[in-house]
Amino acid sequence: MIYSTWFNKFNSFLLIICSFIIHAQSDVPRPRGVSLSKASLYSPTKDFTCFDGTATIPFSYVNDDYCDCFDGSDEPGTSACLNGVFHCTNAGHRPQNLPSSRVTDGVCDCCDGTDEYATPELCPNTCEELGKEARAEAQRLAELYKAGSRLRLEFIEKGNKKRTEMAEQLSQLEKDKAEAEKIRAEKEVLKKELEDKENEALKVYREEEEQERQRKLEKEKENLIKEAMEHFNRYDSDKDEVLTVDEIKPVNVFDKDKNGEVDEEEIKYFFGEHEKVDKDAFVSTTWPMLKPLLMMEQGMFKPAEEHEEAELDSEAEHNADVDAEYTGNEDNEDADDLQQEEVEEQEQEHESHKPKIYDEETQKLVDEATEARNQFSDAERTVREVESNIRNIKQNLEKDYGLQQEFATLDGQCLEYEDKEYIYKLCLFQKVTQKSKNGGAEVGLGNWGEWAGGDNNKYSVMKYTNGVACWNGPNRITVVNVNCGMETQLLSVTEPYRCEYKIELSTPAACDDSNTSQHSAHDEL
Amino acid sequence: MKSLELILFIFTIGGIYAVDRNNFKTCDQSGFCKRLRSFKPEKSQYTLNLDSVLVHGNVLSAEVNTIDTLTEKKTVLWQYTLRLSALIDGTFRVEIDEADPLYPRYRTQLALDGEPKPDKLQLVSSENGKITIINTQGHKVVITAEPLKFEFLDKSGDVAVVLNENSQLLVEPLRVRREKNSDDEEGNAENALDVEDETAWSENFKSHHDSKPRGNEAVSLDASFPDADHAYGIPYHTDKFYLKTTTSAEPYRLYNLDVFEFELDSPMALYGSIPVMYAHGAKRSVGVFWHNSAETWVDVVNYADGTVVSSLVNLVTGGAKRRVDARFMSESGIVDMFVLLGDTPSDVFRQYVTLTGPAPIPPKFSLAYHQCRWNYVDENDVRSVDENFDVHDIPADVIWLDIEYTDRKKYFTWDVEKFPHPAEMVANLTAKGRKLVVIIDPHVKREAGYFVHEDATDNGYYVKDKDGKDYEGWCWPGSSSYLDFFNPVVSQYYRERYSFENFPGTSKDVHIWNDMNEPSVFNGPEVTMPKDCRHYKSAQDGQDGLASFWEHRHVHNEYGLWNIKATYEGMLQRTNSKYRPFILTRSTFAGTQRYAAMWTGDNMAEWGYLAVSIPMCLASAVAGVSFCGSDVGGFFKYPEAELMTRWYQAGAYQAFFRAHSHIETKRREPWLYDSATMALIRDANRRRYALLDFWYTLFYEHTINKLPVMRPLFQEYPKEQDAFTIDDQYLLGDKLLIRPVVEPGVSSVKVYLPGASTSTLWYDVDSYHAHKANGYFNQEVTISKTPVYQRGGSIIPRKERIRRSSSLMANDPYTLIVTLDVNNTAEGTLYIDDGETYEYRNKKFIYAKITYELNLMSYTFVNENASYPTRSWVERIVIAGIKTPPKTAKLHQGNKQTVLQMTLHRGNDVLVIRKPGASMAQPWTITFTY
Repeated sequence: MIYSTWFNKFNSFLLIICSFIIHAQSDVPRPRGVSLSKASLYSPTKDFTCFDGTATIPFSYVNDDYCDCFDGSDEPGTSACLNGVFHCTNAGHRPQNLPSSRVTDGVCDCCDGTDEYATPELCPNTCEELGKEARAEAQRLAELYKAGSRLRLEFIEKGNKKRTEMAEQLSQLEKDKAEAEKIRAEKEVLKKELEDKENEALKVYREEEEQERQRKLEKEKENLIKEAMEHFNRYDSDKDEVLTVDEIKPVNVFDKDKNGEVDEEEIKYFFGEHEKVDKDAFVSTTWPMLKPLLMMEQGMFKPAEEHEEAELDSEAEHNADVDAEYTGNEDNEDADDLQQEEVEEQEQEHESHKPKIYDEETQKLVDEATEARNQFSDAERTVREVESNIRNIKQNLEKDYGLQQEFATLDGQCLEYEDKEYIYKLCLFQKVTQKSKNGGAEVGLGNWGEWAGGDNNKYSVMKYTNGVACWNGPNRITVVNVNCGMETQLLSVTEPYRCEYKIELSTPAACDDSNTSQHSAHDEL
Repeated sequence: MKSLELILFIFTIGGIYAVDRNNFKTCDQSGFCKRLRSFKPEKSQYTLNLDSVLVHGNVLSAEVNTIDTLTEKKTVLWQYTLRLSALIDGTFRVEIDEADPLYPRYRTQLALDGEPKPDKLQLVSSENGKITIINTQGHKVVITAEPLKFEFLDKSGDVAVVLNENSQLLVEPLRVRREKNSDDEEGNAENALDVEDETAWSENFKSHHDSKPRGNEAVSLDASFPDADHAYGIPYHTDKFYLKTTTSAEPYRLYNLDVFEFELDSPMALYGSIPVMYAHGAKRSVGVFWHNSAETWVDVVNYADGTVVSSLVNLVTGGAKRRVDARFMSESGIVDMFVLLGDTPSDVFRQYVTLTGPAPIPPKFSLAYHQCRWNYVDENDVRSVDENFDVHDIPADVIWLDIEYTDRKKYFTWDVEKFPHPAEMVANLTAKGRKLVVIIDPHVKREAGYFVHEDATDNGYYVKDKDGKDYEGWCWPGSSSYLDFFNPVVSQYYRERYSFENFPGTSKDVHIWNDMNEPSVFNGPEVTMPKDCRHYKSAQDGQDGLASFWEHRHVHNEYGLWNIKATYEGMLQRTNSKYRPFILTRSTFAGTQRYAAMWTGDNMAEWGYLAVSIPMCLASAVAGVSFCGSDVGGFFKYPEAELMTRWYQAGAYQAFFRAHSHIETKRREPWLYDSATMALIRDANRRRYALLDFWYTLFYEHTINKLPVMRPLFQEYPKEQDAFTIDDQYLLGDKLLIRPVVEPGVSSVKVYLPGASTSTLWYDVDSYHAHKANGYFNQEVTISKTPVYQRGGSIIPRKERIRRSSSLMANDPYTLIVTLDVNNTAEGTLYIDDGETYEYRNKKFIYAKITYELNLMSYTFVNENASYPTRSWVERIVIAGIKTPPKTAKLHQGNKQTVLQMTLHRGNDVLVIRKPGASMAQPWTITFTY
């Protein structure tokens, strides 16, 4: 809601132009406070009917300082009606409409002084002077706009060129993409072919491996049973091939909670509902439960929890790092994806690179397949890179750089502004940041959001949104008022509302002198 | 404004909105409260020496001793003196001090508006161990010698107030600190108080140590109010307007504290303390004023309360259920109790203001709308807020600047980057009749080169710590010290800071906000100054050591009062006493009304805080401080549209009408809401401005009749039992009844219309529909409706041309709203002056009485030798409730006679007289024929 005075002045200059016409025919007799356009509604020869039609009163009641009409139409020239409107002609300057409450309140609101008619000495007519000033200011602004608009044309030209270039780049990239995709397809075929061969050759080795694995498994099983039987025999004190409750009671290892005795619960844990277990049941059920306890007792085995936690921690740290990299920079995302995939690939490769010795012919096939795989992933990466470039260019092409692309060349241009405490940086169509002069990190005040000027003048305000969140508050945003100026620079940076920043930017791109009629619609009342 | 949340931000994470109770003491954690609350002797040890009684002038003086009640010997334990004085207007004062205290005990200095005026006192009788005295109004006091008891009788001879009925009179004698196991001359005395508990010579609270160099020095007294239904007063608390029984809860606490995010429905201490209590029943109203500035706790027992054991009730009252007992306990000082004998609510409220002084007529702008925020960040921001009020056609009188306008919290300076041209900024405001208020807190930044700090350090102007060094605390500027206003030299220094020369950029249109003056000390015990800090005491012969200074504990609750007194006098000085100062204070005490307006502190954008603003301001108003309001919209958090709308609508009918908000919250100036909400806010503000002359007249009348501006219903309807506990509606003067909507989403509210027995009519101010008073009824409401009723029989002046600011309305014409009673009569008053100077003291004012009866309406001057050349006139007279309209109306003013036109609105029996045009500078009459 805070308009710079500068901007206000601009508004007023445009209004003056319109006002000269009215001034030329302002001497039609009419009651005080009535504008020319409504003069015909006040006829001294007739009774007066309120505009809303609710009452008809003698004409002498018009401007008699008593409000008779609900709509205030009977008192255009006094303060009697709360909702009335007072019109001052302000000959020599621009006309004004005031709320009736500003009539005869001792404050000079109209430059012709008519609002303070009761005390004419209070408000001398300053319209000529003001009009002159306003015309001079209008002149200055007109010249500024004229000069600025020449630069603006250059901006437009460059902008269009930039866009054309981008469009060309895009079509080139589309071509590159098709090409890259073609290569990728070829490489894929090649890769498949060679991998098939490789698989065939490796089949022998794989079968061997499988057999080896089976052998290992069986051996392990045997060992397990053997070990179990050893223990079974040790606990089976009466050697009746059955383990009873009494037999395990004196055995320490069954005392799971280490309270000095093997109690009911512990027996139930190992034996289930049974009184005793035979060899088979021991091997299949009891032993797997018992073994960890035994190992723990012997100090061979430690609970796994600590280790897991440590892993989780390092993972969380890693994630945090990644988050930090992401902050406010979407472009990084693709790059990151690439990186991650590469890491995974490397890991896979690492696993398959077990020091295995193949015969020469097989080794050759493996090497060829590996080469094909590498070529394929290179081809894939190229496609992704091209696609990413296409996305970026498309994004830029979709950005609204103004009706004539006048803002296009400003994209990515960074401007700085220093005040007592901070250095502010606006990278147009990108982001706004703030950095304390006492050091500390850069704080994001918003990323390019949208044009946010009113219906009449969309390109007068830029909005950068979704900056770093305020303590206990919303995300920071920055509003940039775009003014006509000979140079592209920051005029001021303020924080009128907490965490809402306001930048006054001047740039020739905003010097659109063809479009002035839109501005003049900004009449106050 | 705000409290210590910046400090708290460091320690707390997340936005939890609740008071941290651990920061504040319970009775058990307050040494003397715990000690005294458990002091329940069967029989008082205090006896009056009948032989020593002397009646001279308006004073009865006598010796009072404590005696050992356990033995037959009646050994005298300690000697005291009693002064009982009769004062004008049905008031007595009871003072009990030690006969020969080790050091002088503190007597509160600033609460009273000068020495109370004496009445005459006569000894009626002295027999059977009782003394009876009487004042000129016929109030008797019966003093029983043993145990000591004071019974104050009303004019019909019934007991109205009893002191020491419950044997809780206590003055702990000052002692010399003894080493353990050593005998001294008092060592043999067998007194309950001789058993010194561990807290006698030092106390700890959290990490804070209180050295208590004088040991225990507490005082206590109980007061009983026979026939009372309820007790009221002792603000400020967030509880109901009527006081609750505290037997099984915490007592009400009076100790001025910066309570961050204070909670609702609590007897906890707040920013202000006014130790006056009223008791009211259908039979009479009485009051007591406990004249003490130390930390105070008050227990209340209402015998009608369900929680009071019935056997106790029967024992004490013989079955009668109507009685309230109260007990005041203070950490130090003397027993000094004023007894106000009423006997109507208005009488007793007036009696209190007679003692502590009425509020002077405020500058008129201060009754209008104030726009505040922590903070308007720079001159452009101020200009923009100012302009936006005009763009959106919302009247406003004052823009406020919170602490950020200063050069890094150094008061009496400006931030030269953000406020490089303060004088131009002020001129820009005053061009439209607006004013500026800037904050000046009492803490002083300890920064080398800051002139206030240098002067204060060089000249010893700061409050001292327990060792006599400049006390250092932590507040907004960081390390801070506090000016010792008790020293006349310091107050003079402080007054001079306000001169236009010393505070450049200010003018007569810049007024002052004294915040944080409890005082708030972020790192102090309970966020205030340690009790063993030292204040100035005027030097007297033979008083050295502990007798040469006052401790902060003695004076705490009146620290803020000394602060605003110095500000007030400084602001008078700066214009050679031409213009009236406006000051807002957060800390309050008895007598605050003589200098400043107050607000209820750092509230929250929640419905409960809107609702509690009414009982809080009612309690304030009956305790002398009518100029009370709450932060419209709530200080913490953000009010959504409905709450904001209701708060403006309520605030428009409270004396101090200011929107304010916390620096961390979303901006909320009216135009930042949707246009419908903004229109409702505009409407609320316009209603306030239309009634500004009514408000101004009420504040003028307060200076004459000393009555609250905002009144509880029972003040005007003292016999209506149902009205005794109503605290969600109130009266402005005796003419308007307000029931703000403080509930979300309601389509109707319950409104109590008093005065059924006298056939009172209440006219809805929106429709002129007349309601016959008959207790409760349901008033339908929409979002634009605030139930307000004008009493039949009253005339209220309005100004219906709402300008940008109140001063621009000075010459505007009046609309007189006449609402007829059942006898077709009505009357009202109007006060007019220049609104800002003291010229009214030179008879430059109009105080007019306006009456209406069947054949005649008249506007006459009450003070015939006073006048004011106002250019205002009568543009409209609205007569509501007219049954038979007159045929003709003729205005007579001076030699002129004018026939007036009238319009009758049949639908609601309203007659409008069109444009009488009579000047308000001269009396006039209108005659009617039928």
